[in-house]
Amino acid sequence: MSSSGHISKNKIIALEELAAKIPDGASVALGGSFLHRGPFALVRELIRQGRRDLEIIKQSPGYDIDILCRTGVVTRARTGIVAMEGNFGLAPWYRRRIEEGNLLLEEHACASLTAGLRAAAYGVPFQPCGGLQGSGLAALNGWQTLEDPYGSGESVYVIPAIRPDFAVIHANEIDAQGNTRVLGTSHWDRIMSRAADRVLVVAERCVDTLTFVDRPEATLIPYFLVEAACVCPQGAWPGSNYPDYEIDYPAIDAYLAPGEDALERHLASAPEVRATAERSDTHV
Amino acid sequence: MSERWSAFSYLVTNLARLIRPDEITFSGVNSTFPMLACLMAKRAYDWDFIYINVAGGVDPDVEHIPLSSSDPALAHGSASIFSNEDFYDLCTRGRMDLTFLGAAQIDGEGNVNNSVIGDWHHPKVRLPGGGGGAVMLPTARRACTWRTEHSTRTLVNTLHFVTSWGGMDSVVTPIAVFKKRNGRLALESWHPEVTLDEVRERTGFSFEHDGATLTPRPTGAERDALQSLDPEGRFEADAAVTIR
Repeated sequence: MSSSGHISKNKIIALEELAAKIPDGASVALGGSFLHRGPFALVRELIRQGRRDLEIIKQSPGYDIDILCRTGVVTRARTGIVAMEGNFGLAPWYRRRIEEGNLLLEEHACASLTAGLRAAAYGVPFQPCGGLQGSGLAALNGWQTLEDPYGSGESVYVIPAIRPDFAVIHANEIDAQGNTRVLGTSHWDRIMSRAADRVLVVAERCVDTLTFVDRPEATLIPYFLVEAACVCPQGAWPGSNYPDYEIDYPAIDAYLAPGEDALERHLASAPEVRATAERSDTHV
Repeated sequence: MSERWSAFSYLVTNLARLIRPDEITFSGVNSTFPMLACLMAKRAYDWDFIYINVAGGVDPDVEHIPLSSSDPALAHGSASIFSNEDFYDLCTRGRMDLTFLGAAQIDGEGNVNNSVIGDWHHPKVRLPGGGGGAVMLPTARRACTWRTEHSTRTLVNTLHFVTSWGGMDSVVTPIAVFKKRNGRLALESWHPEVTLDEVRERTGFSFEHDGATLTPRPTGAERDALQSLDPEGRFEADAAVTIR
């Protein structure tokens, strides 16, 4: 019998191996929000590995979905709001993909996407979601209403379960077993980690399990839900990772420059590439 | 002749004036103006309110004002983290007193399009999407919005798509403040440097203006608060918003 959990005591693998777990065609929930604490190093690794036909699930993606659109990795998306934010405006390559008819969008409100993830996390086929009255999104997505079976006379929209194949979370700290801690707001990472079939974590640093034992209530994801993880300092670049670093605005400006060269330079200047280069230097 | 009132100050000041004492008030993503308005109200008025934001902050002690309105800096000094799921649930159970929500197009009932210009399936322009709007607009006790461009393409008779329904309580533009009255947006006041005719010409929906007045100029406390939030004029330059 296979276990429902991941018992291994050493789950730390290389970023390349972590990304290789996600096959073409997979649906992937990405943690964080806009330019904050997104698993961007892993997103870039998916590009380097030439992944195709991914579905991205995230309430508020920005840089991540934009660069995946720019490189033709993503073909489907479920989102609530998409922008570069931090005064950069619309996500240009995402916008272009949709306007050209090359990205199939299921447009949500952030909370309706959360409701779908909750349904999956709760193990039920659908989940009521407050609001949505009068919104064109309901007809667009075929969302149904149910009348309260207990007789209040109230009706509520119900959102079908959204069960991503993967959730990929960028965290501040992990231990070798996969216990995961996030500092500051967890955005939607918690519900993603419960809704997805498989959970992968990219962390700024690996710490001793005793650090988690000291404050177990601060652990966002217990180790047995985590299949594998990697340690990638600065992995949320060019976004922020509280409290370690802020948004690298010049790097986003450089990313937004048109042309293959700009993209190549952007990918080559990423922290995970510099780290690999430094590692091979030391080995020589 | 009094000094000119910039569109930037007009927007932030009139958004801050929508905030009421003691109320739970929320600012979200892509929302630089409401973020500044909430921080301004904390500094300009002699009453307090409960400020929560999308970075998880609860009455934060913000040391430096971030460019991104979802920046973790907005949770600095916060004694708790009220995360995304929390503030949506708070809203749908009827306890969000005031939320600010973005809008690309607004109609005369205060409904909002954040999705597309053109047909949804074949858009001329794909817009960001409504984020919290479709859930928050019908469930918040009050929802208010702003638009940095006051024109017949932003304030429209018919939305290209209804992303969020339920009617904004108030709308602030660089030249006017509208407030919902009997299910329609009515003009409450207009910028002292434009005319009522100009507001009418630049608005795509018809509106009542009984009792509307010139917008009162900023008080000393309001002016000082905004000055302290944007001492170098960085936000004002970034916003690049003008009266015309």
